[in-house]
Amino acid sequence: MTTKKEEEKISTLLEDLTSLESYARDLFSFLPLPVCLVSSVGIILEVNPAFENITGYNIEEIIGKPAEDILVKKEFEELAKETLGKGYVRAKELIIFTKEKKEIPASVSTILRKSEEGEIIGYFVGLFDLSDIKKTEKDLKSAQIALLNMLEDVEEARGRAEEEKNKTVAIINNFTDGLLVFDPENKLSLINPQTEKIFDIKQRDIVNRTLQELKTFPTIEPLVLILLKETKEISRKEIQLKENLVIEISSVPILKGEEKLGNLIIIHDVSREKLIEKMKTEFVSISAHQLRTPLSAIKWTIRMLLDGDLGELTLEQRDFLEKTYRSNEKMISLINSLLDVTRIEEGRYLYKPALTEIEPICQFVIKSYEEEIKRKNITVDFKKPEKRLPKIMMDVEKIKLAIQNLLDNAVRYTPPGGKVTITLKYGKKEVGFSIKDSGVGIPKEQQSRVFTRFFRGANVMRMDTEGSGFGLYIVKNIIEAHGGKVWFESEEGKGATFYFNLPTKEEFAEFLKEF
Amino acid sequence: MTKKIILVEDEEIILNLLQRKLTLEGYDVLIAKDGEDGLKKMREEKPDLVLLDIIMPKKGGFEVMEEMQKDNTLKKIPIIVISNSGQPVEIDRAQKLGAKDWLIKTEFDPQEVIEKVKKQFSASE
Repeated sequence: MTTKKEEEKISTLLEDLTSLESYARDLFSFLPLPVCLVSSVGIILEVNPAFENITGYNIEEIIGKPAEDILVKKEFEELAKETLGKGYVRAKELIIFTKEKKEIPASVSTILRKSEEGEIIGYFVGLFDLSDIKKTEKDLKSAQIALLNMLEDVEEARGRAEEEKNKTVAIINNFTDGLLVFDPENKLSLINPQTEKIFDIKQRDIVNRTLQELKTFPTIEPLVLILLKETKEISRKEIQLKENLVIEISSVPILKGEEKLGNLIIIHDVSREKLIEKMKTEFVSISAHQLRTPLSAIKWTIRMLLDGDLGELTLEQRDFLEKTYRSNEKMISLINSLLDVTRIEEGRYLYKPALTEIEPICQFVIKSYEEEIKRKNITVDFKKPEKRLPKIMMDVEKIKLAIQNLLDNAVRYTPPGGKVTITLKYGKKEVGFSIKDSGVGIPKEQQSRVFTRFFRGANVMRMDTEGSGFGLYIVKNIIEAHGGKVWFESEEGKGATFYFNLPTKEEFAEFLKEF
Repeated sequence: MTKKIILVEDEEIILNLLQRKLTLEGYDVLIAKDGEDGLKKMREEKPDLVLLDIIMPKKGGFEVMEEMQKDNTLKKIPIIVISNSGQPVEIDRAQKLGAKDWLIKTEFDPQEVIEKVKKQFSASE
């Protein structure tokens, strides 16, 4: 029998127990960590709300289920074994399967639970969701990989840039042309070995200097003078540096988008080309001279025969000889044109320009064509201004030849009954000449080549086999050697108008200064 | 008195032609086929006129003229140059060396040479 006192004590103890139980339950429910109680045979006996949350099962579904349902079987077996043996497991990383079969990485800890009698009831399994940590870890990892990749890319790009730079430097150094690079302040920033060779100068002596400073180096001075004068792009300007050294200079801006990074000067050695050109011209010149000797012998012989100096001729003999004489004359005139062309190319063409009036020259040339004009029944109209034209500086023979070539073309390619108009005009700075014909004209597609050597219109080739193809080339060179300009307008079938301007004395003097 | 002309020319045909033409005109014509021979004959014969080619073997026309300039007995003899070429530079040079006229063979006929010769003699008379 128990005493009242004992009863009271028991009652107090029971109360304590109840409150302890409620404390444990509250704590269990409140605990944010998922926890479950698993029996010694692996059946889930109890779970807290956090456990329900993480697994997705509600308490009714999960209680009584084997724990291996939510864990990898093999892993769970090891976990159970270790717990039962050792009494606990600390923070083991395992995979939890939710109701939706989602895998959640978790850190699992266990602790054995025994009854008062020391009998094993089961064990608590506490989980710690690692997915956030894992995710962060994964993010970090990928960030790290990305970073490493970037570093690798940067390294690679640097390598490539280095290689590219080496390549560029190698190209510049091995380039057969001389190269000079000026920065935007017009200071020399680099030259290649070829430039050093051409100007007999060392990079270290001249680099970082301005054009003005470079002027003091005698070997490079001719180039510097041109660069100082010419601010725009230069295209293939020729300079003779030494007896056997002729170079061609080109200058191009180095642009990056709109920004100008400097200027590139390219020096091309054309000495060999010049030499070959000279040899070719000399060859033609000598051959033409040699050809003239027999041609003049033929000319004189036929002339004497025709003059009857060697006895009377029959009509037939005379006819043949006259034709031969004319062919020979054509040959002579062709050879003369050829010589004119070689002289143009040798650059020794103009001879002692003098102040002369152009009008009498025109008159003279027209007069020399009188017969031909009459024969072809062509009207030649000569329009000159009322005011007397000023004298201009010219090599009379050459201007005569130019006008003669133009008139010859006009008369030759104008059909009988046609008209040729020559006009002289006086401008402020120049005297203008034009010759208009009503001839066959120049085919449009050929117009760009009119002033080149050997040019012959496709339409005139069919109608006329004469003409050397030198005429207009000679005209252009004569006019340009006087500082003038030559051009034309033409429509096939409607005729052509050729124009040239010659500068007045002052302008001509300016022009000559450039040489 | 018959005028004496020396013809210095290496081209056989031209030489024959001119010799024939000039002889027909009544001149006394001597020929030389190179510059050296030409100078030798000039010294021996003292001609009234020299017709002179420029490009010739042994001695060219310019050298002949230079030597004539140095020689007081030859200095006064009028010269007409007959050449294949006729560049202004050459003509200037010949004028300075005393040439009275310059004929480019391809541009003249033999008859015109005769005219020039006649003109030369009438001018000097």
